[in-house]
Amino acid sequence: MDLDAKAAAPDKPLAEPAPVTLPEILKRPDIAERFAQVRKYFYLRESTYDMTRRCNLRCDGCYYYEGDKQNTQDNVDPAAWRTLFQAEKARGITFVVLAGAEPALVPELLAACYEEIPLGAIASNGLVRIPASVGYRIHISVWGDDRTSERVRRAKRMLERQIEIYQGDARAIFVYTFTRENIAEAHGVVERLARNGCKVTFNVFSATVGYHGPLRHTPATLAQTRATMLSLLEAYPEEVVFSRYNAAAHTDTLSLHDLYSCPYPRQNRGQFGLGRTFRQYRSDLTWIREAACCVPDTDCADCRHYAAGSAIVTARMNRHIASADQFRAWLDYVDTYLAVWVQGYGKHPNLGTVPISPSLALQTSR
Amino acid sequence: MERRIAEILIQELKLENVTPDTFDVNTDLVKELGIDSMDLTTVVLVLQGEYKVKFDEDTYPSLTTVRAIADQIRQLQSTVS
Ligand code: SF4
Ligand code: SF4
Repeated sequence: MDLDAKAAAPDKPLAEPAPVTLPEILKRPDIAERFAQVRKYFYLRESTYDMTRRCNLRCDGCYYYEGDKQNTQDNVDPAAWRTLFQAEKARGITFVVLAGAEPALVPELLAACYEEIPLGAIASNGLVRIPASVGYRIHISVWGDDRTSERVRRAKRMLERQIEIYQGDARAIFVYTFTRENIAEAHGVVERLARNGCKVTFNVFSATVGYHGPLRHTPATLAQTRATMLSLLEAYPEEVVFSRYNAAAHTDTLSLHDLYSCPYPRQNRGQFGLGRTFRQYRSDLTWIREAACCVPDTDCADCRHYAAGSAIVTARMNRHIASADQFRAWLDYVDTYLAVWVQGYGKHPNLGTVPISPSLALQTSR
Repeated sequence: MERRIAEILIQELKLENVTPDTFDVNTDLVKELGIDSMDLTTVVLVLQGEYKVKFDEDTYPSLTTVRAIADQIRQLQSTVS
């Protein structure tokens, strides 16, 4: 016990400090300004769509070719997709994520979707150019340097070809997925992307249900991943679209679901937010509520996927008001999310200057 | 309390064509006004500051009308005092 403190204690117990509130936090000018900037996008309401079962690659650990979402019949009729997107718009969907397996192989479907809902992003391996008329953000997956890609994805000169195709394209952002095996390679890959003027953000390999292969992270490789992310963020602040809090949230030993409680229907049967509106369509235009999340078939206990975090962390504003610094960290996360996913939204300088532990959000959930 | 909640809703969400006096306390904020979950969360956090209570996030889905919000605040205040 601190005797000095005891001696100085008044007769009556001191009143507990008032809990920090959002209005108090918003009195800081830097926070108020950033909150106003990101708040304009609170209306975004997302759903995701597998565009085709086809892919020009066969990567080890591919999440699309897990589970039964691949056992379907592709709907290749642009008119059917257009009708679906009109219905999606009518039920309030304002942001679409077009994925699995390789959307670049069905450009006519992408064009039909874009004409109906023009805000969204496409997940692509970046080896087939998507026509300029499709104005969505394009996420190009990178799993390591060219040697690793040749081994794991069986594609020669992959990064070189991706850069050739998407260099100078304002829609493109490269997404480096950290696996257990490729952490050290990230330095060379990011340096090469930065030298070619390409933007890059980070993902963390998240195992599918039942996967125990060599890509799955351990606590030690998560810590190495975090250190690498932070050093790259510092070295390439213009090209790396990320924040300290992103690094912390995605490399914690606890998964995103364990830290923040996932709001996607697969984990949340409630009728609030994503639980009410989110759907994940297969390429035959059907969807299953029980399986609905942005990365179905991923093991929730290992989920650190950047797409998952974009919904899970951003939805938990209420868990980030324990201090102004914690709220700054959350704002940096949301600012990063918007810069990565929304075409035309530019990343602002990060506000956070001190490390914020994601487990604080777990403690403040009640 | 209902009037003050309506005032905060109007102010925070910049709602038009409605005043605190004309706000129907039974209007469904999500289904009828189309208020997004993030906007509703913002309002909830502002109300937490105003009324010095803490909403459990599991109760957010039930906070769909001004009346339901006011009832919840009264319940939280009675358990605190
Ligand atoms: S490019 Fe993507 S969809 Fe195609 S096999 Fe590789 S991981 Fe799977
Ligand atoms: S895999 Fe991730 S995004 Fe999907 S339900 Fe589980 S925690 Fe949520």
